[in-house]
Amino acid sequence: MFSARVIFLLLTLLTLPACGDNLFPSGEDKRPAVQPGTTGPAAGQKAPVFSVPDTSGNSVTLASALDSRKGIVLYFTMWCPICDSHMSNMRDKIPSFPDVGFYAVDYVSGTVTDAGISASANGFAGSFHVLADTSHLLLNNFQATMGTTVIIDSTGIIRMNEDYRDGSRLATVLAALP
Amino acid sequence: MLAATLFAGAAALMPQLSWAGSCCGGGSPTSLIVPKFANAIADLSFDAEIYDGFWNQDGKHIADPPGSDLKQYRLNLGYAHRLAKDWQAGLSLPYIRNENKYSGLSSSTDGLGDASVALWYEAVDDESSWMVYDLAGMKPAVTLGLALLLPTGISAYDDIKNSFDVTGRGFYRLDGNLIIDKTIQPWNASLALAYGTHFERSINREYGNYVEPYRKQLGNRFSAALSAGYRYVIGTGGDTLTTTASYAYLREERGDINGVTDTTTGMEKQSAGVAISYANLDRDWSVRLAWNHAIAESGWGRNFPTTDIFTTGVRYVFR
Repeated sequence: MFSARVIFLLLTLLTLPACGDNLFPSGEDKRPAVQPGTTGPAAGQKAPVFSVPDTSGNSVTLASALDSRKGIVLYFTMWCPICDSHMSNMRDKIPSFPDVGFYAVDYVSGTVTDAGISASANGFAGSFHVLADTSHLLLNNFQATMGTTVIIDSTGIIRMNEDYRDGSRLATVLAALP
Repeated sequence: MLAATLFAGAAALMPQLSWAGSCCGGGSPTSLIVPKFANAIADLSFDAEIYDGFWNQDGKHIADPPGSDLKQYRLNLGYAHRLAKDWQAGLSLPYIRNENKYSGLSSSTDGLGDASVALWYEAVDDESSWMVYDLAGMKPAVTLGLALLLPTGISAYDDIKNSFDVTGRGFYRLDGNLIIDKTIQPWNASLALAYGTHFERSINREYGNYVEPYRKQLGNRFSAALSAGYRYVIGTGGDTLTTTASYAYLREERGDINGVTDTTTGMEKQSAGVAISYANLDRDWSVRLAWNHAIAESGWGRNFPTTDIFTTGVRYVFR
């Protein structure tokens, strides 16, 4: 039984040092300062320009997306339960912001056709303009992942780049767009 | 003593609740129980979880994107030790590998999952597992437990690049457990109930990027698993083969962000399973195969992936 107890203690001790920041979470604000006028993915920076196809095969650029609008929202989806939940929540907010373009960025489909199939299967083809980011241009330029929500204002400045969470930040930032 | 020794093997097929160690599920089995009159138990198992679509918030089942092949593999190490006649403690530690393939993207990552530690009290013993002469003989074994899920896995709030790296949820959770188990040889039935609460935590980073700090709490979680088993004696040597069928229900309430309900969270899952276990005469060694199937039809879950979990495991009881 001695050896069994030793194994038990070793397992316990091995668990703790292997962990990340979650055992002792920090609430400290560690956001780095952003240099105004620079181009990058962070809030306060100029958004990188892009040109990606939508599910109809038409090319969408940053300039064309922002044309005659207060801003745009890019939501990164991999058609998962959380993505579906976020997009359903966001769909309810769309009527409140008629001057904003809402784009779902599909970064997991390899073709425009696959992106279109997923958008239809998930029931979002009609409510979101779906971009097929097959080259991962948007994914890399905005350092995005599942649930990342980017808001870009009419001057091309990023106002928000973070997880969708419950959608409250999205509504607040959109309401404050000039 | 003979009865006690034989009863010891009955615990080998307690319902094992196996949840994905991911952004959506998280956690690991917490019901590794030392059989009565044994000193300890060690368990090594391997899960292969195959994703097959998901239920959306309305309970509608939706297929995964075309060309996708999503899997998670888990190597689980468990150990439980008897501290006193009716008390025992256990530890479960998973190691996780995520294999995600879409038509336009592939990812393969691995890391430690969320570990759990548990303390169990055997409140009532099943003292009549061979023959029932009266109503008192129907008395089941009742085991009460407390389990603490530790955020030892890689969560969305660690220094990671994307969601494919996630192997844990990043939250502590305390579960109260109740297991009711009755054996009347060769039959066995058990009910495992758990109710857990996640602890609120601060968050200042999402997928590697620092964000304005906020506080988040996942919703309370309830699970129930009902199982029934039958034991066959193989030949004249005393080795046994136990088959078990089970049904499991899992529900998590909505969480909070800065004290406000997050309506995008909360989920439900229903699944069914079968298992087969082989044990030697002494019931020291046992090996098992199990299959858990989430019912991939609308109405059997909400806001959660539908998966098949294939498990193979080996267990040793220390006398």
